[in-house]
Amino acid sequence: MIEIYHLYKKYLKNELYALKDINLIIDRGEFVFVVGHSGSGKSTLLKLLLREILPTKGSIKIFGRDITRLKNREIPFLRRNIGMVFQDFRLLEDRNVFENVAFSLRVIGTSPREIRKRVPLTLELVGLKNKAFKRPHELSGGEQQRVCVARAIVNRPAMLLADEPTGNLDPATSMEIMTLFQDINIRGTTVIVATHAKDIVDHFQKRVVVLENNQLVSDQERGAYFNAR
Amino acid sequence: MHVRSLLYFIGEAFKSIARNGWMSIASIGVVSITLLILGSFMVLSYNVDLFTQDKKEQLQIVLFLDEAGNEETILELQKKLASHPRLEEARFVSKEEAMERLKAQLGDRAYLLEGIDSAEENPLRDRYQLRTKVPEDIPVVAKEIEKYPGVGYLDYGKGVVEPLFQLTGLVRWIGLAFMAGLAATAIFLIAHTIRLTVYIRRREIMIMKYVGATDWFIRWPFIFEGSILGIVGAIVPLFVIYYGYEAAAHWLQSNVYFITLIPTENIMEEIIKIIIPLGVVLGVLGSSISVRRFLKV
Repeated sequence: MIEIYHLYKKYLKNELYALKDINLIIDRGEFVFVVGHSGSGKSTLLKLLLREILPTKGSIKIFGRDITRLKNREIPFLRRNIGMVFQDFRLLEDRNVFENVAFSLRVIGTSPREIRKRVPLTLELVGLKNKAFKRPHELSGGEQQRVCVARAIVNRPAMLLADEPTGNLDPATSMEIMTLFQDINIRGTTVIVATHAKDIVDHFQKRVVVLENNQLVSDQERGAYFNAR
Repeated sequence: MHVRSLLYFIGEAFKSIARNGWMSIASIGVVSITLLILGSFMVLSYNVDLFTQDKKEQLQIVLFLDEAGNEETILELQKKLASHPRLEEARFVSKEEAMERLKAQLGDRAYLLEGIDSAEENPLRDRYQLRTKVPEDIPVVAKEIEKYPGVGYLDYGKGVVEPLFQLTGLVRWIGLAFMAGLAATAIFLIAHTIRLTVYIRRREIMIMKYVGATDWFIRWPFIFEGSILGIVGAIVPLFVIYYGYEAAAHWLQSNVYFITLIPTENIMEEIIKIIIPLGVVLGVLGSSISVRRFLKV
């Protein structure tokens, strides 16, 4: 599903590499933690996968296609297959939960009938069935993150990316969100979570990819945060 | 474009216009003033054109032949006149014909010409009546023709025609410059309003990009917002002109009898064709500037 070969990324010419010689293959239906300190290149990797930025060198194949060669007008269609969850939720404060989720369908031209069908199903899946008409500020942090997850998966993407999704949440809530990711993964979606939450990574016993000093230093099945290093 | 998307874009555009409040009103105001001035100019000039059409067509050059000229030079001259690119017509009028006309003009005082109206004593000269394709060309063409061999002298209202044309030309240029300035202001204000919208909606725009909305899907609402500002800004002056013109026509008809105005329906039909598209153009230009500069998609 994702094939990364000899990937280098440098933001500015005279700067150090943000990512150096990354090689990584992720199969359909996998659950992968990408761990490492801040500045280790986790976010850069996710941005590259979303084609927000281009690599300096190397290739990234997603669904068999080298996304570094996409034309600008093809990028939206790549992103329709990738859901994205943010640390800071990024919800629209002037709309309720339903509208926030519906928004991501409406702007890609989904029919209102389809929206009315899919949004409630998705809200049920993330456990927000009863909060559909609440505004984001009326929700707890964990609930807001669930809205963000619902928005990311409502279009049934093949892949879900999350950048520090629990960075703003307490440990118990973090665990709930991560369990939600696991549920989504079980339904067939490939999930990639960038995090430095040690407890969570250790608890879930998934594949762990470690970035350190902008390089991939370890890649283990059923890894843990520390023994991976 | 799908009807659903179209409705969505227009809906979003109206939401923004309402949300931007005063900025929207200011934009519409400047577009309105620009187009009101333009519209008034057009109404005025259409009517003045109608009024002066006959007068202008009467403007001509009268070329009196040099009496010393022989057949050959006259033939040569005729050829030159006939092939002149800026002349519409060159009509020969013999001195006998000129005498007849003079008599007709004098009417019952034609007796004044008695004694000099015979073929031998006719003091008038053979002449050409020249009409240019464009009345404004008269002074230039006259200067050129003056030098042709066989020409005695020219009469074209020298010294009267030139300043008149200069004045009308000047008025037109000042009007154009003034309107260009206003149009630039209108475009600037619309651009600023759209920039404000882009800023207010930056979060939405970011999310749209993440979930895979196409660039044009993101851009359209802003283009529509600008167009709507432009169209509303065009409709306002059309109403003002319609009622203003009705009132003016009514007043003129009951006070100044000899002026005939173009009927309101006809003139509105003419200016709607110009004003509405111009409003749209101003709006689209203004919003494209901001979409291009501030909407990073």
